[in-house]
Amino acid sequence: MGPALTEATPCADHRAMTEAAPLPLARFTIVELNDAGVPLCLRLATSLAAKVAADLGADVLKIEPPGGDPVRRAPPLLPQGGSALFQFLNTSKRSLVLDLRTDAGRASLGRLLDRADVCLFEEPASVAALVRAGKATPIEIAAFPLEMDAATRPVSELAIQALGGLMHMVGEPACKPLKLGGHQASYAAGLAAFSGLAAALAARDAGQRAPHVRVSLAEVMQWVNWKAASGAAATGTSPGREGKASEFQIVPCRDGHVAVVYTVTQWPATRALIGDKRLDDVKFNTRAGRRQHIAELYAILRPWFANKRRAEIQRAAQAKGVPFGPIFSPAELLGAEQYVARSFLAEMTHPTLGRLVMPQLPVQWNGRSFAPRPAPEMARAELAA
Amino acid sequence: MIRPLAGVRVLDFGLLTAGANTSAMLADLGADVLKIESGAYLDPFRVVGKPDNEEGWWNRSPQFRFTNRNKRGLALNLKDPAGQRAIRELAGHCDLVVENFRRGVLDRAGLGYAALKEINPRLVFAAISSQGDTGPERMNVSFGSTLDATSGIASLTGYLGEEPRISGMDVNYPDQIVSLFAAGIVIAAVMEARRSGTGAFLDFSQREVASFTLGEEILAASGDPTHSQRPRGNGQQGVVQQDAYRCGDGRWIAVTLETPDPGLDSFCASRDSNQAVAALLARGIAAAPCNDGTDLLADVKLAGVTLVRDERGGLVKGLPYRLDGKGVTIERAAPDLGQHTDEVLRELLGYGDAELVRLKESGATSTTPTIGET
Repeated sequence: MGPALTEATPCADHRAMTEAAPLPLARFTIVELNDAGVPLCLRLATSLAAKVAADLGADVLKIEPPGGDPVRRAPPLLPQGGSALFQFLNTSKRSLVLDLRTDAGRASLGRLLDRADVCLFEEPASVAALVRAGKATPIEIAAFPLEMDAATRPVSELAIQALGGLMHMVGEPACKPLKLGGHQASYAAGLAAFSGLAAALAARDAGQRAPHVRVSLAEVMQWVNWKAASGAAATGTSPGREGKASEFQIVPCRDGHVAVVYTVTQWPATRALIGDKRLDDVKFNTRAGRRQHIAELYAILRPWFANKRRAEIQRAAQAKGVPFGPIFSPAELLGAEQYVARSFLAEMTHPTLGRLVMPQLPVQWNGRSFAPRPAPEMARAELAA
Repeated sequence: MIRPLAGVRVLDFGLLTAGANTSAMLADLGADVLKIESGAYLDPFRVVGKPDNEEGWWNRSPQFRFTNRNKRGLALNLKDPAGQRAIRELAGHCDLVVENFRRGVLDRAGLGYAALKEINPRLVFAAISSQGDTGPERMNVSFGSTLDATSGIASLTGYLGEEPRISGMDVNYPDQIVSLFAAGIVIAAVMEARRSGTGAFLDFSQREVASFTLGEEILAASGDPTHSQRPRGNGQQGVVQQDAYRCGDGRWIAVTLETPDPGLDSFCASRDSNQAVAALLARGIAAAPCNDGTDLLADVKLAGVTLVRDERGGLVKGLPYRLDGKGVTIERAAPDLGQHTDEVLRELLGYGDAELVRLKESGATSTTPTIGET
């Protein structure tokens, strides 16, 4: 037991020292304004941007409408009650219910804005004029670019993935276009809003006037999908979903599926890995040749995967420097060796919901992770009002 | 445009999207970004996007142009002692390093965080890698859509009841979002370094960034093993009816309904896509055409600030947000290979003619690729 104790002591000291260092955004106060009647896909973006800042130590005050942020009731729900979506998006924040339809509510908001560095809010906000006139730098989350009929056009995440051209890229060419799983339209915009927020804080910190930031989900989606526009401009033809004609395909294996991915320079290693003499045919030597004979190529590749497990496939491929991707579900990631080794999934104890496990911010800062604190409870938010 | 990062200088080893685009966003905000390549190792975007094999092909890739505007470009050989020395000296004049090499590459050249922080303790060093800088899989290779698969995104993407799907090589979705996240974190770290006088090592795992976007799914799965983990088509939990529908003109539109309507298929099939979208929007229903790249180029209002022209007339990527209502100003086109090597070595390090000629003759600096020769 002796050695274990001596090893534990420096660890504990090390933790105490690093945790004693202030969190990087601890100097800043941020208001996350949740007005009533805002499309949920905008709210998810706002809340994600503010969550990143809160986990980094900013004092984030979430202002909820009477009845609370509707995300509190949004799926997926936890078996013990409450929304997993809300718990993930609102870590490390404080919360306050304000009725912004009343003079008193707006006056309270005005006082909070005077003390804040930044205010995140969504279009259309009933209090947009008040926010834009305040001392806090406004960061506005919208659905569409200013040039469109932005405030009144109905929006959904699916519509954004369609408009931004992402759906055109996923699926079989002869079948309907597909969205990516998860809340990608909202979350990409949330990450963009966080980077705009950081730029605004940097300007304030350097003594400059911070610019007003406006993020629209539709612009972010096009920005993310830039290769569609770049490809269309270069060749006159847009790239699009290729499905079973694509060089990268999903193949079944013994315990699931694997994404077959390799670059042009990794083809010889891929050929060696599969080890089938038919792949030595000259018609597979060039990228153009492989694309031309793609069905035949995959007919040769598939049997190699069929009786192997994902772990075995990944091991063999990585040993040859081939980037095949075994497909894991969110549940399987809970046990992923790499995530466990890096403590990427944080465990926290919520006062009423108990044990919760969720991803931490995906960065380590001098080896330090940012453990999130539980999202604020509704009863306390109402009490604070 | 306002330049919140004016006075910040970046030593940029970023390649392809994940690295090069992170530093491009900093350049757009006013940072002086010095992109380091070498004749022996170009940003792969110069190669995969080359339009032809004529002289100067390495300076004509649209993908490279999209991702490296507003930067200065240097070619310094990382394997040459004189190249390494110049880079170490440049690190003394920089606030930030951005790199997305495989782990260990810069360490082997004596240019890793441990070495550079000795020269400049205020340096922030952003290492963006597939799996992060620690853990049993830290040396794993991946390419774009590998991470769609291993992050969980692919498992929830696909037609109902069918196999999972990836975003594919023309999207490489995980590479795009990591640059959005990393740019924000890096700005926070530079602010903190300026305040405290102490830099930081930032370890980004691209796979973790992609999994982070499924936070609620991972949390839900941790409490409920029966939580659905299958491809969901175009549906969404909590939404009664949502899908892509084919219109009379053959085009697809995406529609989200708040009350179910079994007649939506035939409604769309009997109209052109433009008419169907307009009619649905007029009823307060979210609807949109499934645009392709050509549509995005044509719809200037929709493009907003996402596409800009550089001084040579080339189309490049804008910013994903506006500052004071405006998009980014392209002050310089993406650099030719080694275009600013001499300029920067004179300006920051005081190198003279003789030294610059010596570097060129030894191959430490260059303006042409030597691929295949080294």
